[in-house]
Amino acid sequence: MKVNVDKTLVASIALHVLVLGWGLVTFSSKAFVAEESLPIDIISTDQLAQMMSGQKTGKKEEPKPKVEKIAEAKPEEDAVGKVTEKKELIKTNSTPEPPPKPAEKPVEKKPEPPKPVAEAKPKEEPKPQEKKPDPAKEDPIAELQKKLETKKPPPKPVEQKVAAVQPQQQPKPKERSFDPAQIQRDLDKRAATRHELTGTALNASASLGSATGTAVANVATWRGAFQGAVKRCFTPTYNGQDADQYEADIDIPMKIDGSLASEPIVVAVRGPSRSIAQAVAESAKRAIVQCQVYSFMPKQQYESWKLIPMTFGLKDML
Amino acid sequence: MNDVSSMNRRRFMTLTGSTLAMLGGGHAFAQGQQGRLRIDPTEFQPIPIAISNFVPGSPSDGDVGNGVTQVITNNLKRSGLFAPIDQAAFIERISNIDVAPQFQNWKTINAQALVTGRMTRQQDGRLKAEFRLWDVISGQQLAGQQYFTSPEYWRRIAHIISDQIYERMTGEKGYFDSRVVFVDETGPKERRVKRLAMMDQDGANVRYLTRGSDLVLTPRFSPNSQEITYMEFGQGDPKVYLFNIETGQREIVGNFPGMTFAPRFSPDGQRVIMSLQQGGNSNLFVMDLRSRSTTRLTDTPAIDTSPSYSPDGTRICFESDRGGRSQIYVMAAGGGQAQRISFSKDDTNATYSTPVWSPKGDYIAFTRQGGGQFSIGVMKPDGSGERLLTSGYHNEGPTFSPNGRVLMFFRDPGGSGGPSLFSVDISGRNELKVPTPGFASDPAWSPLLSSTPG
Repeated sequence: MKVNVDKTLVASIALHVLVLGWGLVTFSSKAFVAEESLPIDIISTDQLAQMMSGQKTGKKEEPKPKVEKIAEAKPEEDAVGKVTEKKELIKTNSTPEPPPKPAEKPVEKKPEPPKPVAEAKPKEEPKPQEKKPDPAKEDPIAELQKKLETKKPPPKPVEQKVAAVQPQQQPKPKERSFDPAQIQRDLDKRAATRHELTGTALNASASLGSATGTAVANVATWRGAFQGAVKRCFTPTYNGQDADQYEADIDIPMKIDGSLASEPIVVAVRGPSRSIAQAVAESAKRAIVQCQVYSFMPKQQYESWKLIPMTFGLKDML
Repeated sequence: MNDVSSMNRRRFMTLTGSTLAMLGGGHAFAQGQQGRLRIDPTEFQPIPIAISNFVPGSPSDGDVGNGVTQVITNNLKRSGLFAPIDQAAFIERISNIDVAPQFQNWKTINAQALVTGRMTRQQDGRLKAEFRLWDVISGQQLAGQQYFTSPEYWRRIAHIISDQIYERMTGEKGYFDSRVVFVDETGPKERRVKRLAMMDQDGANVRYLTRGSDLVLTPRFSPNSQEITYMEFGQGDPKVYLFNIETGQREIVGNFPGMTFAPRFSPDGQRVIMSLQQGGNSNLFVMDLRSRSTTRLTDTPAIDTSPSYSPDGTRICFESDRGGRSQIYVMAAGGGQAQRISFSKDDTNATYSTPVWSPKGDYIAFTRQGGGQFSIGVMKPDGSGERLLTSGYHNEGPTFSPNGRVLMFFRDPGGSGGPSLFSVDISGRNELKVPTPGFASDPAWSPLLSSTPG
């Protein structure tokens, strides 16, 4: 047996086992309590727009987006194939990129475009009265369109033909001429419609929309921001012996606008010298008051920061 | 085989590294589990404070009002803990200290605290000083006092007010109402005249206590009386003297056959501890000032010197070369077994000397010599936590401010120049030159004057 045992390897293994064992014993007793995690999703611009959606007529004070219909579980499908997408602007003889849809789904050909719903559920179609046309109705273009439409036959059949044929056509150079009728034809003649506002919970009041989208659900963001904001104003003076033993627990009652609801409450102070500990607490209180208003605090989560418990220490001083 | 083992080792290293990283991460998370948001400032910042000119109670009090304001501003600024705001930035002028200031005006210039005050000459010739310390943020008055004094003591009033502000804002006792005794040095290097001098801690009001005909060294303040003890080379052997600042009287301490040196008072002021030379050695003795009885504390064939009491009077730190080189030892106040506390980590040839116990008891300051440099540092009384605050060609003789927060020492740049006094925070920050009329060495800080009778 010529097992050549490398002593250094043995020593290395022994040491590592020791270190790892020590680490396991030392750290395993502590519960692994992570701060609320930050969920990361990759979202499309459409999803972002929906998260932040609002109405011009909404009120500022109402941060929750209006919801008229509870969104159904979204099928994970390609968005391109959705029929409820607003139809492409159709022009009679201009040469736009032709929408392939009409050709693929002839059954959908109707003089009226389907009532747009978030998910294009067929059941939405028989209830056209549900749509709220208020903002769109006032659109002067739509008004003009209606007037003009009376003189003209419904252009839809033509459109379909042209649209279907066009992919094969080579664009032909055309004479540029002024034709008012062409402008009229170029106009978007679809009836003004809009999607139902969907969400997870019904909400009847209109909202201006949200600047932060669903980021309001992130607890981690306001905690860090609040810490940083208060730290800017915290100027404790003690950095002598046992500085790390000085601590002040302070509860901060907050108002929804990010200002203090009342003076910060000193819950407890710790440290070898009572007067220095007290000075640390007062310094912390001044910092909290001086650095307000904490307007970045998410109003939707007010319940979670109505009272912010904090500890001010001198651990990293020197 | 070797290749495999080295591979294994590398793998182990990697594994350990990642494991440790994980554990470290877990630790960081575990800190947040108490549920309280935690803030620990990483860098020190002085408190922004606005000190408005003290309002004159009558038109003739304008100068003294401005003087008091300046002394307070200078004190707080030199402490390093406050950042007085330039008066040019003030939005509001305080004209009446009995109405609350417009705090918004002071918040705008980022002041956390505001000092207002008034100086008024009374009918009886005395000076009345009033001041208020405001918390600008909460709008509350933190302190308010009035004092009466003879007009010539206006500086002392300013120091007392500075102490009030310092204590209220930091939680620590102040040190501005105190003096420093030092050795004033004048004349060319080879014929230096050394006089005992005393001044306020900010360098004002310098007084000379001796004429300079004899060499004086190591002056020390009594903790509770107007007395100084020092060593003077007289006609015979150098002796330890006791000097009364008020009366100018002086006397020799004890009646020893040889040279006595390195004296220091006990915390109760009742005893003087010093070294007595005996042949090539020196030992520590203590003399009771009332009974005049002396007690030997050490008996070694070595040089024991520079003794200093702990503030509770139970222990003594001193320097001794009993181990071969000068090091710092601690023993009970009554003598007995001494324990060495100074151990240099990086330079085994380093020596430690002139230990002095902080009035707070938390640190022992020392002079360290090593690597061709003299450093001033502090360590805990058990020898741990050693920290060097300044190093250079020659730094020596630290003395603590009455609150234990600041050290004063002297520095000699070498060459044809002479020594000067410097002060530094025990954190090592805020090193400042202390103004003196000429060269100066051997500073000793007095206790707070307001804590000593007379």
